[in-house]
Amino acid sequence: MEQKSVKRRKKDLSFLERIYIPEILKGLSLTFKNMIRPKFTIEYPEERFIPSAAYRGRPVLIEENNGDERCVACGLCSRVCPALAIEVQAAETEREQERYPEKFEINMLRCIFCGFCEEVCPEEAIVMSKDYDLTFSNREEAIYGKDKLLVPVNQLQDRIDFLRKYK
Amino acid sequence: MGIGEIILISLVKILLIISLLFLTVSYLTYFERKISAWVQNRIGPNRVGWKGLLQPFADVFKLMLKEDIVPEKADRIIHLLAPMIALFVAFSTFAVIPFGPEVHLFGYDIPLVVADVNMGVLFVLALTSLSVYGLTLAGWSSGSKYSLLGGIRSSAQMISYEISMGFSIGGVLLLSESLRPIAIVESQSGWMWNAIVQPIGFITFLVSAFAETNRLPFDLPEAEPELVGGFHTEYSSMKFAAFFLSEYANMIIASGLIVTLYLGGWQIPYIDLLGLPSGLVALLQVGAFIFKLVAILFFFLWVRWSLPRFRYDQLMNLGWKVMFPLSLINIIWVALLIMIFGL
Amino acid sequence: MPKFLIDEKEIEFQTGQTIIEAARDHGIDIPHFCWHPKLSVSGNCRICLVEVEKMPKLMIACSTIASEGMVVHTQSEKTLEARNAVMEFILINHPLDCPICDEAGECKLQDYAYSHGEGESRFTEEKNQKEKHVQFGPQVMFDGERCISCSRCIRFCDEIAKDPELTFVQRGDSVTITTFPGEELDNPYSMNVIDICPVGALTSIDFRFKARVWDMSATKSICTGCSRGCNIDIWVRNNEILRLTPRHNEEVNSYWMCDYGRLNTFKNVNAETRVDCPQLRREGKLVKVGWDEIYAETASRIKSFAKDEVAFLGSAHATCEDNYLLVKFARTVIGSGILDFMNHIDPEFGDDLLKQNDVAPNSMGAKLAGISPLKSGLNFEGIIKAIREGKIKALYILEDDVVSANPHLENIFAKLDLLIVHSSNYNNTTALADIIFPAAAIAEKNGTLINFEGVIQRIKPAVVTIDTDRALDGMEMSRLDKFGTNFDRWATGVKRDARASWKILTGLAGALGHKMKFNMAEEVFSEMSNQIEAFKGLDYDDIGETGVKLNVKFLEQKVNA
Repeated sequence: MEQKSVKRRKKDLSFLERIYIPEILKGLSLTFKNMIRPKFTIEYPEERFIPSAAYRGRPVLIEENNGDERCVACGLCSRVCPALAIEVQAAETEREQERYPEKFEINMLRCIFCGFCEEVCPEEAIVMSKDYDLTFSNREEAIYGKDKLLVPVNQLQDRIDFLRKYK
Repeated sequence: MGIGEIILISLVKILLIISLLFLTVSYLTYFERKISAWVQNRIGPNRVGWKGLLQPFADVFKLMLKEDIVPEKADRIIHLLAPMIALFVAFSTFAVIPFGPEVHLFGYDIPLVVADVNMGVLFVLALTSLSVYGLTLAGWSSGSKYSLLGGIRSSAQMISYEISMGFSIGGVLLLSESLRPIAIVESQSGWMWNAIVQPIGFITFLVSAFAETNRLPFDLPEAEPELVGGFHTEYSSMKFAAFFLSEYANMIIASGLIVTLYLGGWQIPYIDLLGLPSGLVALLQVGAFIFKLVAILFFFLWVRWSLPRFRYDQLMNLGWKVMFPLSLINIIWVALLIMIFGL
Repeated sequence: MPKFLIDEKEIEFQTGQTIIEAARDHGIDIPHFCWHPKLSVSGNCRICLVEVEKMPKLMIACSTIASEGMVVHTQSEKTLEARNAVMEFILINHPLDCPICDEAGECKLQDYAYSHGEGESRFTEEKNQKEKHVQFGPQVMFDGERCISCSRCIRFCDEIAKDPELTFVQRGDSVTITTFPGEELDNPYSMNVIDICPVGALTSIDFRFKARVWDMSATKSICTGCSRGCNIDIWVRNNEILRLTPRHNEEVNSYWMCDYGRLNTFKNVNAETRVDCPQLRREGKLVKVGWDEIYAETASRIKSFAKDEVAFLGSAHATCEDNYLLVKFARTVIGSGILDFMNHIDPEFGDDLLKQNDVAPNSMGAKLAGISPLKSGLNFEGIIKAIREGKIKALYILEDDVVSANPHLENIFAKLDLLIVHSSNYNNTTALADIIFPAAAIAEKNGTLINFEGVIQRIKPAVVTIDTDRALDGMEMSRLDKFGTNFDRWATGVKRDARASWKILTGLAGALGHKMKFNMAEEVFSEMSNQIEAFKGLDYDDIGETGVKLNVKFLEQKVNA
């Protein structure tokens, strides 16, 4: 006679599991533990999250201490941008770098904060800042020009240090 | 005590109960959201008022300002009637639940129950059976397949669990030898709480109570992922609010019943041995009732945010193949207790 | 034919060919900087070193004459090692300023650094400092640091432009290029040195920093500067032409084009002076109107003249298709045989290399498409005379600024009752016009041009009008064109409300009750190839990218007759 072998499947429950009650108590105790644990929520507008240097917030252009932009308008950020958010128009300048961005626009509706622009930049001129709460009420406002993009270099020092260390 | 006074006292009690009930229901929604937040390590509503305490009122205002939409294919009268039935049934059930012993106030003996009916438990069972109409009619009259499915589910579910509920109460009645809620409470003096004496009955009743109030894990009539909103899919504005209120009122009633039938009602064990003045004792006892009620309500909310929803076949299996036999076993158990110990 | 082995492949060659030429004929590319197929061999860059069996050292492929039975390896270990070494030497003093350099993206040095370079530098010393930012001439800027001293530009001036202006000075690592004392790089072909420069040492002052190469689309088209019809690429970004570069066509222009054509034939397309919608003169003032209105109004005005009161001027600036439809319109719709076009001859313009005295790109095409007076009809001078005498009261001019070329016509045209002009830009002729149709510029339409030698060549649209669509009409698309939306500033360049002349004529014929069923320039051409003997059996695919030479004998007969 062939022996009937009963296979125990994973979803087959033991008797204790089948009467539910111990399992329910287990679940209840877990949720209760969580109830009394400290909360993760930050009460945002009053309390602000300050990201670490590794955080990729809105991309900004570095403004040197003398007020010039570091960017040479090579267009690599624009080329590498997977969302085609960046538009650069170069022009000639008397400064040593020869070339500067006459127009530098990032469409923040297109930007996906991937940081490729920062990674590809040969001049360390575009870096990801810590700004994360961007608001605008129409498409035009969402296009950030040089006026909004240029940030003094000393405000971005920790990101630059981070990049030099890990990039 | 003249008839006029009795009516007056009853009216006062009714008003008190209803306003308290409304307040409790609103704060129940608040705590529902708070507890869900805590379980998920969040903070929960905290914008309206201090710690978000005015949130329920904001919700009510919002609901009042919403447009009342009635679907074109709906049966307009029944569509209007259904939430009323639900709300009416929920509120009237509370009439027979005693929330304290008799007190002496202004020279009157006042039982702390709206209506001291000598077959109160039967009244409760009758009204809860009626409440299924609210949901079923709502589902049927909306003219939407989701609503209809929700309505059908709710009727099947309620009828199924009413049976085990009824049989569970059977055990209680055997011990108290009365249908009068006050008598039932008094029969559980000392530690003779029915929850301790007949734990199986307590569990079956508790589970049935969850099912009867359509609370998770048995909220199949409104199972959002499957049925959009279940029986109340097509309801908006204050009609929706009525369902919402009745659901929470039902929860309070179920908790009240559990406290009355199984947890010794307003009683604090052996408080009479302390020799406190009777006024203070009555106050403490009302407090005890409220404490027990709140504890059960907390349990309701806690369970909701811990357990997943049952599948429909699991629900029916549980109702008919587990709860029903268990409640029968409970009756035998109680009968044995009476036979052996002569309780 | 003699044969030799290259990379284990046996190839034939012509006696006297160098290895690099023979390999190129068979699709084997040997890296090269200084060698150019049209310039003399200089052999100074050394990147084309190949291993030739039985030769003691590696040979430079550009100056080693191929011989029977030779065995050449272009991918052997030795070759690759040598190539890497040469790259390393060249890169020692080449600045790492690709981000600034305009050549980036089409730079030979960049390409070879990727394919043959080591990938990193072992050179830790300071790079050479040389003169940067030197203006060689009116159009060319020189950056000494980027120069790899290949001497292509020097040889170009000596051999092709026949105007030696550049030379090496200094020696060793301080060698640099300069103009001869008192000279500047100003020959009429000077900008070709920018194209042949393998790095970004020579850049165009006109195009400098305007756009990156990879952001533009390149459309294969024809220069309209003269009747040579040089093959060009039109580089467009955001619907704006930014530069023209020559395209190789051995039959027509080889690798070159003149500075005049490169700089002056596209700016009118982007100019402010574009006619951007149909206009009517009402009570002495030009009024902007819609297309339906102008068709109806033109039809009603033109109908009020007798057949022989209406004259037509075709154009050597318009395509064959446009001219053909004008002929058809004049003969069949109006019934007038008074038809000619104006020749634009500038005896000062031509030279021995490319430039021709006939400065209109399509005189031959206009003639062949049928723009010539019937026996009874009047030629151009006759038409002018008839206008002066008041016999011709209405004149229809196709895309030609006749008045600027002949200023005395201004007074004569004042006598006309009706002057209809197709024009892409405002000019002295449109100033006199009663009705102006905005015509698509050459860079905005499909069509064919025939050069002075009878080579028929295709022009293709590079710029979009309201009437056309880059994707649907199969135009060249850059990356930006492909992904841009209506909400991107970089994809919403101006589109003009202009139409190709053949299309305008089709619409006008429709308004006059003659249905012409042409939806594409290609359909006009296919009718032409059925109707006109010179175009027999041709279609756009036959013409292709480099054109087809029409039967010259037949052409001469036709032209003489």
